[in-house]
Amino acid sequence: MKRTRQALLLFALWAAALAILGSFVQRQLVIGTDLTLFLPNPTTAQQRLMLEEIGDGPASRLLLIALEGAPPEELADASRALVETLRDDEHFRFIANGELSLDALPQALLPYRFLLSPTLDTQDFDVRMLHSALQARARDLSSPAGLLLEPWLPHDPTLELLKVIERWQPMQEPHREFDVWFDRQGARALLIAETKAPAFDPDRQRAALEALHQALADSAGGDLRMVVSGAGRFSVLMEERTRSEAELLGTIATLGMIVLLLIAYRRIGSVVLSALPLASAGLAGLAAVSALFGTVHGITLAFGFTLIGVAQDYPMHLLSHRHADHHPVAVARTLWPTLATGMASTCIAYFTFLFSGVAGLAQVACFTIAGLAVAGLSTRYALPALLSNEGPDYGASALLERLWNRIAALPSLHWAAAALAAACLVVVLLAPQPMWENDLSKLTPVPSELLRQDQEFRTQLGTPDLRYLLVIEAQDSQQALARLEALEPSLHALMQEGAISGYDDAARYVPSSATQQRRQQRLPDTATLRAALRSALADTPFRADAFEPFIADVAQARTMPPLTLELLRDTPLGASLDMLLNERDGKASALVTLSGVQDAAALHTFAATAGEGITLLDMKRASETLVVDQRIRLLWCLAAAALLLIGVVTLSLRRVQRVARVLAPMALTTLVILAALLGAGVSLTLFHLIALILAAGLGLDYALFFEHAAHDRAQQRRTLHAVLVCSVSTLMVFALLAMSSLPVLRAIGVTVTLGVISNFTLSLLLTRPTAESGTRS
Amino acid sequence: MRTVAATSPAADQAATPEADQPIEPGEIGSDAAAPSPPGLDAQALIARLARPAPARIDFVEVRFSPMLREPLIVSGELGYMGPGNLERRVLSPYREQATIRGESVRVEREGTPPRSFALKRAPELRALLSGFAALLAGDPAALERNFKVELSGDEHAWTLALLPLERAQRRQQITVNGSGDSPRCFSMRSTAPASRGTRDTPGSANIMLLGEAARIALPEAPTIDSLLQRCRAE
Repeated sequence: MKRTRQALLLFALWAAALAILGSFVQRQLVIGTDLTLFLPNPTTAQQRLMLEEIGDGPASRLLLIALEGAPPEELADASRALVETLRDDEHFRFIANGELSLDALPQALLPYRFLLSPTLDTQDFDVRMLHSALQARARDLSSPAGLLLEPWLPHDPTLELLKVIERWQPMQEPHREFDVWFDRQGARALLIAETKAPAFDPDRQRAALEALHQALADSAGGDLRMVVSGAGRFSVLMEERTRSEAELLGTIATLGMIVLLLIAYRRIGSVVLSALPLASAGLAGLAAVSALFGTVHGITLAFGFTLIGVAQDYPMHLLSHRHADHHPVAVARTLWPTLATGMASTCIAYFTFLFSGVAGLAQVACFTIAGLAVAGLSTRYALPALLSNEGPDYGASALLERLWNRIAALPSLHWAAAALAAACLVVVLLAPQPMWENDLSKLTPVPSELLRQDQEFRTQLGTPDLRYLLVIEAQDSQQALARLEALEPSLHALMQEGAISGYDDAARYVPSSATQQRRQQRLPDTATLRAALRSALADTPFRADAFEPFIADVAQARTMPPLTLELLRDTPLGASLDMLLNERDGKASALVTLSGVQDAAALHTFAATAGEGITLLDMKRASETLVVDQRIRLLWCLAAAALLLIGVVTLSLRRVQRVARVLAPMALTTLVILAALLGAGVSLTLFHLIALILAAGLGLDYALFFEHAAHDRAQQRRTLHAVLVCSVSTLMVFALLAMSSLPVLRAIGVTVTLGVISNFTLSLLLTRPTAESGTRS
Repeated sequence: MRTVAATSPAADQAATPEADQPIEPGEIGSDAAAPSPPGLDAQALIARLARPAPARIDFVEVRFSPMLREPLIVSGELGYMGPGNLERRVLSPYREQATIRGESVRVEREGTPPRSFALKRAPELRALLSGFAALLAGDPAALERNFKVELSGDEHAWTLALLPLERAQRRQQITVNGSGDSPRCFSMRSTAPASRGTRDTPGSANIMLLGEAARIALPEAPTIDSLLQRCRAE
């Protein structure tokens, strides 16, 4: 570090600027975790619905819970305790273990049981019906259930409330032991909980999971284990794994980088100062994103820092090109055209991401452009003034000279490059697997044993299918309910055929007003009911006046306005009903969730013939078309980026031959990477494409510097040193990422690692000065 | 929120002032709360009542309820399959099987789908069963955890009065009558009205005659008193 007043002042100013920027970022920075930010904007109604459902739908909010490791009785008790504890927990909309609870319907709504139960659709409260009900109740009374039912029987001799509550149970009833859901082997008690947080909110999902574990720890001890599955659980798992791996790899990379820089430049002061442009880049990137977008997505952070890590190359070029006779400021001036060309072209490549139609990618682009620009400009205008003139001049290095001579002696390999390009093209064209990965779930793969377990829980519990969903559009909720009721016979037919094993919709809980009124009209008036009851009671052991409360409830039910969704809003059912049917902007849309889907073709046929406004939503297909759309846009962006890149380089170098020499390694490297990936059986994803741009940017830098160094021997050695340090450091960082177990990190790591090796080699072979130009100076 | 259990007699009455008044021990049992005679010790007696699982015993159960004009009578077989595991098989006048395991009760009756519920929802039944189970296990300590236990009578005709310690269940009293090592009757009675809208008396009662006592023909129109009389007789 230079210790002049000017330099110290500049350092202080820079530090102050960083501090101010840092505090701005700290105040402004809101880190978002909504993964849908990285999904493309929907273009079709199906895609829009899919995106709404994927994180927010009732199916994806479900957590499936299994308790195991104790005798069934204990598991059942623990299951009950868990429901008891979490019933009113702030994290859950509901938690259920299959136990029928008569308090599902609030006291004030109890008389509605006659309108909610389907009994009156097929039967009347006449003498025959009442008589057989009373005989059954007499037997109930002398059974152990008698003590439970006795207080309720005078109100409800036909047990309508029980019928309503049974109807509210899942259609495909899970196996039960001790009244609660179990798997078929009776080894695991099963529960389902619906979180208030959407599936892709890992922070709130984590809080919900912690609440679950806490509740279990509070109510049961010993060997009891809890297994939780579902989209929310997976998003927490993946977020934790990604974070912990990224942190570990990041720490190793940082340490490696410091060691490398110390070895390369042997001055602690220089190494510390060389971190300033990168630190400025990070803060500038954060500030730019939080100013423009409000929130910064967690993934933007992870990606952005990976991408601007390249900015560390800029000060490295400056340090490697240190000249014994020139001040760093002069060195920076000489380097600037090359540095600026590389920086500008990379920025321009990322600039095209702003138009990718994906908010998350736009954030990444904004972060990277701001970061790289700040790193480049500070390396040019601020850092040199701080550096002292001390330190080795690599232009005088004997080792580098030998190395350079050896490289210069290598044969020119233009014909080999052409052959390589052709071979790569063949591999790309002949790779057997699909070129592109359309399955979103492959990007954040959940371990297969967890997926198997999830599938098993779903089958056992009959929880809604995550892929297929029927969507019904209507003018208002009454029309939607009526349409759902009209669909019921066809849905039952689908169940009979085995196409599905069950379904769920709002009409199962609240019949349409028309249906309720029809049932209401079938309720007998008080005199009729009393007479029928008197005859029915004749040969039963019940007292004549035992069922007065029943008569009163029926009389009340006859005059009530039908039960509406609004009335149920504050009950335990309310939240779930909101998910199944919502009215917005004067339009209602209702969902039919399906479980145990066996025959998708039958569903498609059903939806095609079910009439206007009924759509079968295939989440997988919708997401695939979304990915394809996204990729097509992205490829256009890349094409535009490539053209712009060529334009910038042409503008800077001005001669076709120079331009070709600089661009050849980069272009060939892109082909080599594609061939290597596809040849190894990898299908390409969004992240490979992003990494390709990064690799191309690196290649451009290497080639530009080799090209720049063409006419000066000492400068050639300095450039060799710079490019060596840069490529070794980049190689180290991305080789670490390539070792990650997470496909996203691995995709970036492998792509860039291949890119660094190929770019460095090809830049040496194709861009390095020819023997004549080397000897000319 | 309302549960069936919450409208149970015990819970309903817990709010009324007299609900806090426990039923006097002995009210159902012998004519007086006669002091237990020398040589008859509650702890020793209960220990002697233990039955190794599996054990089976015939029963006749007579059910009185304020809803009923005449009592309901069923007979069958009770099985004790080990701690927390009871079976109640009705053979006449229809067939029904109830299985109680842990906290869960399952009732299966011919011609109707099985029904099951948790004991949590039927606190009276839970009290009854815990008393029954403790006797079958011959475990006086378990009994005293849930009941105040009073013994009266003599070796040939003893009466154990079990008064629930749980405040909400104090309307309930369980009485066990027996002779020597064998119980004859297991009865539960609550003086509370079964629900709103029914008359206050005579309340509900379950009287279960066991073993020998179950084999003697019942009177034409059994009443709670006439049955309890039979329970006390040798």
